[in-house]
Amino acid sequence: MTGSRLTKWLAAVPMAALALATIYPLVFTANVAMKDRREYTLDRFAPAGALRWDNIARAWTSVGMSRYFLNSVVVVACSVAVLLLLGSMAGFALGRLRFRGSSAVFLGILAALFVPFQVIMVPLARIMASSGLIDTYPGLVLAYVAQFLPFTVFLMTSFYAAVPPEIVDAARIDGSTVYGVYWRIMLPLGAPALLSVGVLNALFCWNDVLISLLLMPSAEHRTLMVGVTALRGQYSADIPTFAAGVLIAAVPVLLVYLFLQRQIADGVTAGSTKG
Amino acid sequence: MPGYSPAPVDRAPARPAGRPAPARRAPRGTRLERWAPLVLVAPAVLIVLLLRLWPLLLGVNFSFTGDGDRNGTAVGFDNYVALFGDPLFRTALRNVGLLVLLLPVAVAIPGLLATFIHLKVPGHRVYRGVYFFPAVLSPVIVGTIFNLLLAFDGPVNALLGLADLGPVDWLGNPGVAIFTVVGVHVWATFGMALVVFLAGFSTLDSSLLDAAKVDGASLLQTLRHVIVPGLSRTIQFVFVTTMIGMLTSMFGLLYVMTSGGPAGSTYLPEYYVWIQQGQLNQPALASAASTVLFLIMLVVGLAQIAVLRRTGKED
Repeated sequence: MTGSRLTKWLAAVPMAALALATIYPLVFTANVAMKDRREYTLDRFAPAGALRWDNIARAWTSVGMSRYFLNSVVVVACSVAVLLLLGSMAGFALGRLRFRGSSAVFLGILAALFVPFQVIMVPLARIMASSGLIDTYPGLVLAYVAQFLPFTVFLMTSFYAAVPPEIVDAARIDGSTVYGVYWRIMLPLGAPALLSVGVLNALFCWNDVLISLLLMPSAEHRTLMVGVTALRGQYSADIPTFAAGVLIAAVPVLLVYLFLQRQIADGVTAGSTKG
Repeated sequence: MPGYSPAPVDRAPARPAGRPAPARRAPRGTRLERWAPLVLVAPAVLIVLLLRLWPLLLGVNFSFTGDGDRNGTAVGFDNYVALFGDPLFRTALRNVGLLVLLLPVAVAIPGLLATFIHLKVPGHRVYRGVYFFPAVLSPVIVGTIFNLLLAFDGPVNALLGLADLGPVDWLGNPGVAIFTVVGVHVWATFGMALVVFLAGFSTLDSSLLDAAKVDGASLLQTLRHVIVPGLSRTIQFVFVTTMIGMLTSMFGLLYVMTSGGPAGSTYLPEYYVWIQQGQLNQPALASAASTVLFLIMLVVGLAQIAVLRRTGKED
């Protein structure tokens, strides 16, 4: 490529600008969360005069953010645990043990992957209501598991299909049951894939607003993201406290991203290049 | 792959003489053991059947029944007639058309950025991580932050004011709001597509790129003759996932940023379903809208398969 060095430097300018545009909104929010109301009204862009945590403390205690936060942690932890258990069981069976009807089962689960939540939400809400699961933690966990299980099974199946069959055979010869092979060999062996798919599922569940809005109507059961949508009504005149509430909801995700960036990207790209 | 069938499993080769049998020899061929594969998939299959596929059928069936007074009675296509007579739903469909038109832009931006990162522009190591980061944030958080930034008396308009450009009513002008929301969605998700493109680049034969360089091909020529054909699978994948993302994951943004307004200008089918079900208590009409949304998704999916088949033949 002739003149490629020049082209590259020319490209670097808009790319750096875009990188700034990607980061700035969050920096802005964090900065606003540190300001008092007078500072914010005077100049929105200027750096906060001091690191003030009182907005964050106020958002945490006075609008139930702590309660919503806890609700989210409980629901996400349970959902991810169930997803990983059921997903790895099914993935092991579909990827490593061939049985009659296994490809039909796999295709069925793959088909479910393409059914978006919006398409099934009306009947699902009715099923949940008629079985007494609406507005309960198990109901929301079950809905999240149903929503993200096809993706989890799909990823774990392709992971286990790549495991050399000799490993299973050797364990079988040593007298292990299929369940033993799953529990003592496949589960530990799948740790990297489980970490990847677990982090992604945790993000999906943590970030969801539609499913929890639909299935958790009462205020005490609200998850954090629904809580954030309710913030504005209460703090429309106090933007710094409002921004602090948003920051509380964003920080766990940012931490996960900082430490597990690679695993997240691996999960997102799985299956994208092989067609 | 040898695999294990439900038939009695007893294929262990004879152990060499003199070696003791393993201490924990499992009961071979017990019923529980034979059914192991089915036992392992059963929970997942049950959940997917009961809570994904069965509701899909229920919903389609439900869309042919009535709301309110006519609750539960069969009404034929009445809901669909009502749906297409509703200006809000027609706006939602028109906005889907707009998304389809904007789709090439939403694919080209991450594609180009990935190309430059792959060609190692200065700072390329940083960009991937930075660009991807908004993709992990909840649409609710993204929408709330942009509500602050795009308020009529907000920072973005203050910046425009410095450049002597009039304030824009980003979220209050019916002609502008849908572009604002789609723009924010693209801002939040282009990193996702970028990462997929970079994974595609890592499978691209680098000797082709080197050959193009030696032959003195310009960047445009390299893009057209090497990168686009080499990444056709990845490009199709990004097209479909971006389209599906636009049709199904903008709820949080719409809910927080515009609530469908101003004047219903930012409705999408998914938001319409929510309003009819959650706010207006018209579940049967909502089911009809869901069914239409599902048909749109099906068309997108089938178009993808058709394109894949055709390129498969060309290979």
